[in-house]
Amino acid sequence: MNDFFTSSVLVATAASAIRLATPYLLASLGETIGQRSGVLNLGVDGVMLLSAFFSYWTVLQTGNLWLAVVVALAVGVIMGVLYGIITVFFEATQGISGIGIFIFGLGFSDLMFRQQVGTPKPVQRLPRVDIPVLADIPYIGEPLFQRSLLTYLAFALVPLTFLLLNKTTFGLNIRSVGENPQAADSLGVSVERTRFAAILIGNTLAGLAGAALVLQLGIFQPNLTQGMGFIAVALVYFGAWRPLGVMGGALLYGLVNATVLQWKSLGIIPVSISDLAGMAPAIVTIGALILLARRVNAPAALTKPFSRH
Amino acid sequence: MRKKLRLISSLIAVLGVLALGATACGSDDSSSGSDGGALTMAIVAPSASDDLAFSQSMVDSVNALDRDITVQITDGTFIVEDAAAAIRGYAEDGVDVIVAHGTQFGASLAEIAPDFPDTTFVWGTATDTQGLDNVFAYAPAADEGGYVNGVVAAAISSTGIIGVVGPVEAGDAVSYINGFTAAAEAGGATVNVTYTGSFGDVALAAEAAEAHLANNADVLTGTAQMVVGAVGVASDAGVPWFGTQSNQTSLDPDLVVASQVYHWEFALEEMLELRDNGTKGGQTFEINLANGGLVIEFNDGFELSDDVKAAAEAAIAGIIDGSIDTGA
Amino acid sequence: MNDKSNNLLEMRGITKYFPGVVANSDVDFDVRYGEVHTLLGENGAGKSTLVKILFGLYQADKGDLLLRGEKMEISSPSDAISSRIGMIHQHFMLVPTLTVAENVALGMPSTRRPLTDLDKASKKISEISEEHGLAVDPSEIVEHLSVGERQRVEIIKALYRDAELLVLDEPTAVLTPKEVDDLFVILRRMADNGRGLIFISHKLREVMSLSDRITVLRNGQVVGATTPDQTSREELAQMMVGRAVRLTPDLPPNEVKESRLSLNNVSVKNDSGTLAVDNVSLEVRAGEILGIAGVSGNGQREIAEAIAGLRPIEPNGLIEINGSNVSDTNTRSRRDQGLGFIPEERVPDGAIPEFTVGENLILVDHETDNFVSRGLFSFDKISEHSSQLVSDFNVKTPSVNTPTSSLSGGNIQKVILARELSASPSVLLACQPTRGVDIGAAEYIHNRLIEQRELGTATLLISEDLDEVLGLSDRVAVMYEGKVIAVVSGEDAEREKVGLLMAGITEAVDA
Ligand SMILES: Nc1ncnc2c1ncn2[C@@H]1O[C@H](COP(=O)(O)OP(=O)(O)O)[C@@H](O)[C@H]1O
Ligand SMILES: [Mg+2]
Repeated sequence: MNDFFTSSVLVATAASAIRLATPYLLASLGETIGQRSGVLNLGVDGVMLLSAFFSYWTVLQTGNLWLAVVVALAVGVIMGVLYGIITVFFEATQGISGIGIFIFGLGFSDLMFRQQVGTPKPVQRLPRVDIPVLADIPYIGEPLFQRSLLTYLAFALVPLTFLLLNKTTFGLNIRSVGENPQAADSLGVSVERTRFAAILIGNTLAGLAGAALVLQLGIFQPNLTQGMGFIAVALVYFGAWRPLGVMGGALLYGLVNATVLQWKSLGIIPVSISDLAGMAPAIVTIGALILLARRVNAPAALTKPFSRH
Repeated sequence: MRKKLRLISSLIAVLGVLALGATACGSDDSSSGSDGGALTMAIVAPSASDDLAFSQSMVDSVNALDRDITVQITDGTFIVEDAAAAIRGYAEDGVDVIVAHGTQFGASLAEIAPDFPDTTFVWGTATDTQGLDNVFAYAPAADEGGYVNGVVAAAISSTGIIGVVGPVEAGDAVSYINGFTAAAEAGGATVNVTYTGSFGDVALAAEAAEAHLANNADVLTGTAQMVVGAVGVASDAGVPWFGTQSNQTSLDPDLVVASQVYHWEFALEEMLELRDNGTKGGQTFEINLANGGLVIEFNDGFELSDDVKAAAEAAIAGIIDGSIDTGA
Repeated sequence: MNDKSNNLLEMRGITKYFPGVVANSDVDFDVRYGEVHTLLGENGAGKSTLVKILFGLYQADKGDLLLRGEKMEISSPSDAISSRIGMIHQHFMLVPTLTVAENVALGMPSTRRPLTDLDKASKKISEISEEHGLAVDPSEIVEHLSVGERQRVEIIKALYRDAELLVLDEPTAVLTPKEVDDLFVILRRMADNGRGLIFISHKLREVMSLSDRITVLRNGQVVGATTPDQTSREELAQMMVGRAVRLTPDLPPNEVKESRLSLNNVSVKNDSGTLAVDNVSLEVRAGEILGIAGVSGNGQREIAEAIAGLRPIEPNGLIEINGSNVSDTNTRSRRDQGLGFIPEERVPDGAIPEFTVGENLILVDHETDNFVSRGLFSFDKISEHSSQLVSDFNVKTPSVNTPTSSLSGGNIQKVILARELSASPSVLLACQPTRGVDIGAAEYIHNRLIEQRELGTATLLISEDLDEVLGLSDRVAVMYEGKVIAVVSGEDAEREKVGLLMAGITEAVDA
């Protein structure tokens, strides 16, 4: 145990937690926006897989990381348009449609990977970008300010999402169509347009999450996400649909994972119970968020398609 | 109108299922000869057939068989029910030899094999045939290659700390890691072992490697298909890596020291001969250094001193002649 | 332009079809500046449809709409709002989790785009509150507001958008009598300031007190237009229903016999554990109807549930049916003692909507030998029994095999009534028996209750409709904050007096 409380190990654990949290955070923030508008998207994992594959492939072909990020964004936008059309205009059942998107993303990314790549080949990873001055602060400099731009972006999006939801007219529209679309409609707010926009943002962030995952690892494999997108959806519930809560959830999940790995490495968790310890992140995160979260209800119109007649 | 559009969403789902199906059944018929009398074989494997690890080892081995066979492959069946369906499907199609490449397929096999007494089922990694006389079992003595890798790893580590990234504590992962640990510890190194709990979680494997690095490990190894994430971490940190199951040199031509490669073809060849002579199964095979089923492939791109190389060769010889006990 | 003789709105020949229904058929309707024009009609007459067309929520299939003398196309609520039409919907159109200011500012352009400008909105809300006497705190979350306050927020929303034509679709349905009075003062003042108001209701007393003009709809058609001073409640009811109806039933004298239901010091806690019924003692005798009057939420629901056996009473209390103590028994055994129960929530408490009419008719009796032969339901017997009840009780349903959910509220209520009365209860507990039911069905139900009284049933009637309680009861008990604060005999029960008691004011009554 003593080995764990050395500064270098703690710093490494914190850095690991933040790396692990980054894709979850991006995906969860996007899902938060979508759900606040009343749209559940269970397809996050599929979108992440697609964007992860296509941004990986872009780096493999061009070596250009930023082009890869743009490609991931584009995949997110395309999937957002698709999901928006399905759920908002066709009023399809959201749960099933999301699962459809997931299965599509899983299958299509797998197919493309086998056809276009085959054997996993490592590619360049996202470079570390040190923030001047801050990066040199002892202890917190390394985990917080020696990260990649996508990590900075993910955390910057927390206050931005908060502002968007709570301080802008667009955010007011999102919250109202998520709670009572009839009321919003009666005041001339377009439920369709608002939800469509929220879905678009949500999927774009899911796309970004896929890029953050794959470009952090520098390699792709079929089903790379292993269900991360579903955990991201769960984090939205446990984060009580608040950006800060969602960030807390993502960080906690990352931190417990990182700590468990660190403790396994140090032998604090013996091999004999290591499989059991693998469940700790989920259990601790759910437990903590249940204890800490204010009792908040889901957006009242969540999963309910809207139509005037 | 709405109904019509609802249809579209179902279509999307169907499309997804098809896409998934296309890959899962992505059977590439790598036939080596097509005269009517050719033996037909099928492989059902849990991960991608080019995963540079477990599944690829079997596909490569079957393709290396020096025989007139046609091969069909169903890979990526990480869901056991899918695998069972594929196995039964091949049996119904009259395929002669079906390789169920995964310990987890055992229960399905126990149900399916008795229904097709003329078909030979090949199942591994497993150390018994569940009493079925049309099932051959196979297992690697992965501890042997682990031991050799461990000898080399301890010799090239300067911090004396070595990190190991494993999946779930089961099957050949355990024997590889135990053999590796025994040798490395005998060489004076400390070995930190992490089972991440997942065969597929690349991100977790990467962070497990990071954790080892934070604890001063300067040599890494690992087993199962998710280690590609850990190899990336090793690359970034400039830390040597030892592979197993397949030759992993392509992941980092500069830092992969050696890989233990599974050559199942030796065991497969014996099984096929038995079948030719009327024995459909009922025996268990082990591949090991002695029978040539396990081979340590060194990467020429990684310079090893003559002393170390000699130590490795000595270990291999010792294991083959029985003078070295891997401890597994 | 703004003088009283001009038409603010004219709707001409409005026709609207829904699958299988003509919701509006060639309807002419107009509103002048400065007047309250009431749309009166039974449930389903097409009132909401007409104003939803005006507000752009539905599109008319035929007809023209003239606003301030000019022909207009209104294809969405935004169009309506920008034409200065405001609508207060039958069901509140509020987002409960948002603040008053957010609800009001929703959909309005902000001066600080893309940010909201809630400070400015709050200031304007305060001004409007002040001017119109609509007290409400702009920073309060709507779900913390009372029903009356929410109503005010709805009106503020319309005024904030500077509405000149204000539509109020059954705004009083959820209000207490006092809140209704306050609302009418505000509405009258808005009309006097030159706005045009469309008031929708089926409550005749309200219509008579607020309207300048009244247009009556029946089955989607205009069946008459009048003014309060040229008509009466009875005449309006006749126009609505299409035949003469008796609004207040006559209670013939009846012989009252032994006590059938008695409550002794009964206290009941509500779901949150506070005392909702506080030490109530009552007695209902054979051949009488005892009405409980009170503003909703004063313990009526809990006392009904306690009598029905759905909610436990506190230990020191006692409930007796026909002389036997049932305080600790379940619903089933209370029914066996002769209790019939018409619950407050028609569905799902009274009838299971997914079940057929026939199934709901035997829901209570299903275990008796009448319907079971050799352990299995005898479908012949069931359908014979059900068909008989359907015709006896005038239930309008295509067949006994129709799912109950597709019936109107009044007909579902008749199904429940038929089931309960066919068991010949000696004690009947009737909760809100005519709420949301059309006048015709209400009249029918009232007559049935009176018939039951003549047969000697002891009836406890709980209703929020004061006219109903006063018209049907031999005695009236007034509940306030969980206590029965007065029991007056039917003849002495004047509306004003009981109204004051319902507000907890006993002094004036005693004096
Ligand atoms: N959206 C709709 N779809 C189908 N039928 C409707 C719809 N809205 C109303 N109706 C039908 O139109 C008729 C008039 O309804 P409505 O205007 O709501 O009546 P009111 O407000 O007078 O009670 C009823 O028969 C109702 O069932
Ligand atoms: Mg209506």
